[in-house]
Amino acid sequence: MLNLLPPLNDHNLPWMDTIHPIVVHFVIAMALIAFVFDGIGVIWRKPQLFEVSFWNLLFATGAIFVAIIFGQVEAGLASPYGASRDILDIHTTIGWSLAGVLSLLTAWRYVLRNRDPEALPAKFLGAGAVVSGLIVVQMILGDRLIWTYGLHTVKVVAAMREGLI
Amino acid sequence: MLSVLLQPSSSSPLALAYRPESMPLDQIASQLGANGLPYPLPIHPNLVHLTIGLFVIAIAFDVVGALYPLEKRVFRFLALPITRGGFHDVGWYNLLACCLITFFTVAVGFYEMLTAVPLPGVRSTFGLGSMTTMLWHGVGGVLLLAIITAMTVWRGFQRYAWRRDMGRQVQWLYLAVGVVMFALIGLHGTLGAQMAAEFGVHIAADQLLQAGADLHTALP
Repeated sequence: MLNLLPPLNDHNLPWMDTIHPIVVHFVIAMALIAFVFDGIGVIWRKPQLFEVSFWNLLFATGAIFVAIIFGQVEAGLASPYGASRDILDIHTTIGWSLAGVLSLLTAWRYVLRNRDPEALPAKFLGAGAVVSGLIVVQMILGDRLIWTYGLHTVKVVAAMREGLI
Repeated sequence: MLSVLLQPSSSSPLALAYRPESMPLDQIASQLGANGLPYPLPIHPNLVHLTIGLFVIAIAFDVVGALYPLEKRVFRFLALPITRGGFHDVGWYNLLACCLITFFTVAVGFYEMLTAVPLPGVRSTFGLGSMTTMLWHGVGGVLLLAIITAMTVWRGFQRYAWRRDMGRQVQWLYLAVGVVMFALIGLHGTLGAQMAAEFGVHIAADQLLQAGADLHTALP
């Protein structure tokens, strides 16, 4: 059975390099910029920017599901050690939650946009701030997995295969 | 004349004229953490999310705006009210934000490259050494910033002057340049990813392993 799986490279991956961080560009950039454009749109009274925010938010929501799929596969192959195991658990939990939260936020936005595309209630801006905060926390956790613990880096994978970790 | 200038002083044709006993980085080494930075996580890779995400989506939405006549019926079927101008607004404002942020992405990138200590003896998947990879990534980064800035100016002229009254706000050539940029950014990003995952730059675990430390005790 196991020999049916593709061979793993020196990143412990069946593909060249981690894909999750690439897909995540689109979740992070689009969701955060949506909040920024909403803020600027309200302060400078530029409802044109609300439309830009809507599309960015919709795209972020689509992208997070792709990010989760690759994230789960790559987390499964990451062999976390020490405290990185807990960080990966929290990162996974927040990741799945964010998929739900972003979907709800986008659905709410869809309804608001259908009612009046030129207006944005302060409540939505508040929710956007909270979700943006959650995304920043999620980014920091993901950052720690790679920049502190070096998961899927050649050096750490080699050490793991030698039994040093 | 040129050959005289390029002729190295030592007998080895490509040796450095002078090699210091300690590297300039040693002067601030005591202020740096295990990851080679004075702060716990590198900033450049996080700003890169914004640069890449904003650029790609800017061009993608201008493509959607340009192909609007083809996709009108699809969106009507989806019960999603759209305007062509809305797509082009995404194309413009995302690119503008990308351009502003990318100045910081490149600036922080250079700071973090100056403090980079790549693992010795490593060859990347591309077959390059660490110094060659960093040089390409550094020069490439400035080049990409220049192109992004030029494209933002170009996009602005199309939006506010040349094509102000037209339904399709962008020239086909602009979209073609954008798609070529996808390939350049992909290649450039791969070099950056190799600096982390293969050369271990600013990764605490990789640097500690190289120093012979036990990760179970050395990391929090």
